[in-house]
Amino acid sequence: MHSYVRPNQFVAFRLPSEATRIQKVVPNTSISLGKYGTFPANQIIGRPFYLTFEIHETPGEADSTYLRIVSAAELHAESLITEGEGDGDDVELNEDGTPVRSNRETIDDRSTQKLTLEEILALKKESTGAGKDIIAKLLESHQALDQKTAFSLAKYKLRKEKKYMKRFTVIPLDVSLLANYMLEDKDAARTMELRDELIGLIGCWGNVHHGGSTSFDETVTERPNGRYLVVDDTGGLVIAALAERMGILYPHDGDYDEEQQDAIERPAVAEGDEAEKPQDGEGQSSDTPRRPRRPHMSASGNTITLLHANKQPNLSLLKYFGYDQDSPSESHPLYTNLKTVSFMQLLDPNADNIYAEEPPVVPEEELATYKPSKRSSYHRKRGRWMRVRKVVDDARSGGFDGLVIASLMNPSSIMKHAVPLVAGSGPVVIYSPTVEPLTEVMDLYSTARKNAYIARKRELQERKEQQPEDQNEEGAKTYPELEEEFTLDPTMLLAPTLQTSRVRAWQVLPGRTHPLMSGRGGAEGYIFHGIRVLPTQEIIEAAGNPGRKRRKIAKPTETETPTASGIDIEMTS
Amino acid sequence: MPSPFLTPGSHSSLDQLALLHLRRDHAIPTVLRLHDDEDAGYKEGKVETTRFGSFPHTTLTGQLWGSQIGASKVDTGSRRGRGPQKKNQKLKRKVDEIDSATPGESPKAAVAASSGFLHLVYPTPELWTTSLPHRTQVVYTPDYSYILHRLRVRPGCTVIEAGAGSGSFTHAAVRAAFNGYPTDDAPTTKKRRLGKVCSFEYHEQRAGKVRQEIHEHGLDGLVEVTHRDVYKDGFLLKDPKTGTSPKANAIFLDLPAPWLALKHLVRHPSDGGESPLDPTSPVYLCTFSPCLEQVQRTISTLRQLSWLSISMVEVNHHRIEVKREKTGLEYERVRGAVVFPKDVDEAVAKMRHVEEHSRKYREMMHQLDDEESTPMPASTKPEPEKEEVPETDASTPQTSNIPPYKQGRLVHRSEQDLKTHTSYLVFAVLPRDWTEEDEQRCREKWPPHQVDLTQPEKPKGRKQLKRERKERLEEEQKKQQQEDQQPQQQEEPTPAQEQANAAEQA
Repeated sequence: MHSYVRPNQFVAFRLPSEATRIQKVVPNTSISLGKYGTFPANQIIGRPFYLTFEIHETPGEADSTYLRIVSAAELHAESLITEGEGDGDDVELNEDGTPVRSNRETIDDRSTQKLTLEEILALKKESTGAGKDIIAKLLESHQALDQKTAFSLAKYKLRKEKKYMKRFTVIPLDVSLLANYMLEDKDAARTMELRDELIGLIGCWGNVHHGGSTSFDETVTERPNGRYLVVDDTGGLVIAALAERMGILYPHDGDYDEEQQDAIERPAVAEGDEAEKPQDGEGQSSDTPRRPRRPHMSASGNTITLLHANKQPNLSLLKYFGYDQDSPSESHPLYTNLKTVSFMQLLDPNADNIYAEEPPVVPEEELATYKPSKRSSYHRKRGRWMRVRKVVDDARSGGFDGLVIASLMNPSSIMKHAVPLVAGSGPVVIYSPTVEPLTEVMDLYSTARKNAYIARKRELQERKEQQPEDQNEEGAKTYPELEEEFTLDPTMLLAPTLQTSRVRAWQVLPGRTHPLMSGRGGAEGYIFHGIRVLPTQEIIEAAGNPGRKRRKIAKPTETETPTASGIDIEMTS
Repeated sequence: MPSPFLTPGSHSSLDQLALLHLRRDHAIPTVLRLHDDEDAGYKEGKVETTRFGSFPHTTLTGQLWGSQIGASKVDTGSRRGRGPQKKNQKLKRKVDEIDSATPGESPKAAVAASSGFLHLVYPTPELWTTSLPHRTQVVYTPDYSYILHRLRVRPGCTVIEAGAGSGSFTHAAVRAAFNGYPTDDAPTTKKRRLGKVCSFEYHEQRAGKVRQEIHEHGLDGLVEVTHRDVYKDGFLLKDPKTGTSPKANAIFLDLPAPWLALKHLVRHPSDGGESPLDPTSPVYLCTFSPCLEQVQRTISTLRQLSWLSISMVEVNHHRIEVKREKTGLEYERVRGAVVFPKDVDEAVAKMRHVEEHSRKYREMMHQLDDEESTPMPASTKPEPEKEEVPETDASTPQTSNIPPYKQGRLVHRSEQDLKTHTSYLVFAVLPRDWTEEDEQRCREKWPPHQVDLTQPEKPKGRKQLKRERKERLEEEQKKQQQEDQQPQQQEEPTPAQEQANAAEQA
């Protein structure tokens, strides 16, 4: 849980311009927020999130920078005052009913602002009050200020505040914030323009949740809970979203019930850990680790298995959550709970060199004669082979609790291989920024196609039964003709649904409530959802809604049956 | 007993909630039992009767989740128990005489029916939301998915929900907060907090219903339902005055007047009581109100109570229907198709054909007029035949190649029933309390003006460190070996060693 700013953690700074800036808070460094100022990182470490700070400094004096916490009352001052006056709701009126001030007289040029650019720059230089005095000066020197309506005055003040206030708010970096940040401030295409509201929908329809504590699992169920199969081409955003829901995203996930005291004590410990690592690398292995060493990708339950197209998955966004893809920290929950399998390993594992070529087992006696470096390299290779073997075999055996796809590839080609790996009743969710790929998927599961598939399958089944049973052994259930005609089995998914969702933000200020005037266009974002089911091998006719007519026809036959049911009773009793 | 919502296992089992999925948005929730509690009198034990046939629970229990289950032949007419039909009275008595079956007896094996099936799926909050018994307005998936995401409800969180209503949000929230079942023997360690939902409902009957559902769904201990008027009595568990604090991290208020409840959701309640909020974390809040006036009052109160990052949104969600739209003259007698020229060429061809035909007809009439004054009635007959023959000839090669499910053009549109407004969602955050003492302590820990001018380099990766260590070790060994061999000769530091030394210094 994000209760305070931890050292060496990535946090977000919300600036007066509404822009967000993500930075790592490294102790004993200074953090620069561009034109909004610079301050020492130590002044926010250990402090709670969501506080707004104001940067104060005396010009020309070293070490004079200090941060002042801006109270909530101060942040809301304007709204509270207008509300208190009670005139927020209605416009001031003249006796004849016309508004006292209207924008009829407003002069739309820069001549009304009497301060010149040079003067403003000079003001900025010597400003001390975190920009407030500049704004006051600007308001003072604005000639036509009294002509402005309350609305335009508020707007003017807001505009100037955004420009000159040296304020910032520290916000924990989580999936929601990162999604919005990538969308608004960064390259949205990198995350496939995935919006926050759709992340929520993906998680819910994917039924992604914590798999429960392991100790309880072992006593109750035979199979591990909470295994999810994911295809993610958003640079790790989807993985992060799912991991967040499963409680394995944050390095400190699991450390919950901290007391206030503890929270203050902790930074020193955490800093110690972090600081030691880079300096004396040899200390790592010799130090007795707090918990037993957990091998990479070794967790059985509450795991994410990532299918990726290239040799290495792209998980670059996970760095914001303390998980560096190239050298993952062993203490991070994803180290054990995120497994990666390439599509090639899934479909043809023997084509993968690591999987196929088992490093020869060296007997203990011989191993003892090895040099330490050779011995460790042997163990490393052996460990890697066993890990890949285990992870790939686990993935191929299927039984996943859900499948989530956000991929640049054609969804049906992924579904062909991935849907059969989902356990019965497990959800299948696909995200696409545009609707077309998903309408095609919907069409692949259309009722007409499903019916045609069932009819064709039955036809082939009957033909096979008539044929002499010579090669029936291997091809008992597969029909190559069927696979040729239908790329994937439409009876495997129940209730395919396509949906989209979008939130609309409103401005709620006293007397000035309306939806925001502008927003972000771009991809709408769509979600496909279905439930994996296990169709029976037997032939079952669908019983539609029996119409009134048919029931009437059936009546006479029913009247004859009581005797038959009487026989049934005798037989059972 | 694990909850089928959270850890369904691989098979359905007795006394668990299961959903009988008939078609989209239509699933019947039922608790699997061998014997009927209401004693409806089926010989097969408890039976679920649907429009797609009858399903004795014996055929539903112990099945793999997601299985397609065929209907069974169940005699619904002549059952014992509450036989409603009068004509069955006599029969019933007869049956009673013959069949003195005791309730303890195992139910009769079901006989498969010729048609009808359903799918057996485990419950999820989404499916439950569409199939639950409505008591109040339900918070649907598009709303609650966004709310829980924005409220940062994660495994281990505690959620306060006021206005349990029909319980759809309750189920979604418990799934989001779940990170293990509470067990009696293992006391919750200090490190690990188990997620839970504290649900408050002022309607006594509804509170009872929710409580019963929670029990049936195996969520006891994960959801705590309290019958309470939260406007008046606040959010402490058990007793409103002296009860324990739920220590909530997230709050969802689905109340007619959320602003009346907000006074209890503060860090330091005015009556000096305990705060229901978690003192060590920021608290996220969401209110769910259909009207703008409610929103305005709520936000005004939130501002007075020092909530921050106040924002208001509405969620617009729609489902999309995908169809194959068939337009063309070849789709005659195809259901759902529009028989209309599919393009200009087809329209012109058709027109040309008609024109040609009428020209021929006119010529024929002229001929007839010329030859005889009385036209033959049979001569008009061949016209339709002639018209259809070339057309079917033209269209059959096109349509017969393509199976019906691939014909036409793929189109999508919003589904018919559209929810254009559900409610306005107000979000706000209350940061942790921060006192001057806390600040002082933090200043001591982290010297406020200490800024190292030498910026640390990019930290080395694990592998790099390892490699460097290895290199260093090897160097030392080599050196030692060399020293052993030639103790007189002084060795110059090798470049690799230098590098390692440099790394050490860095």
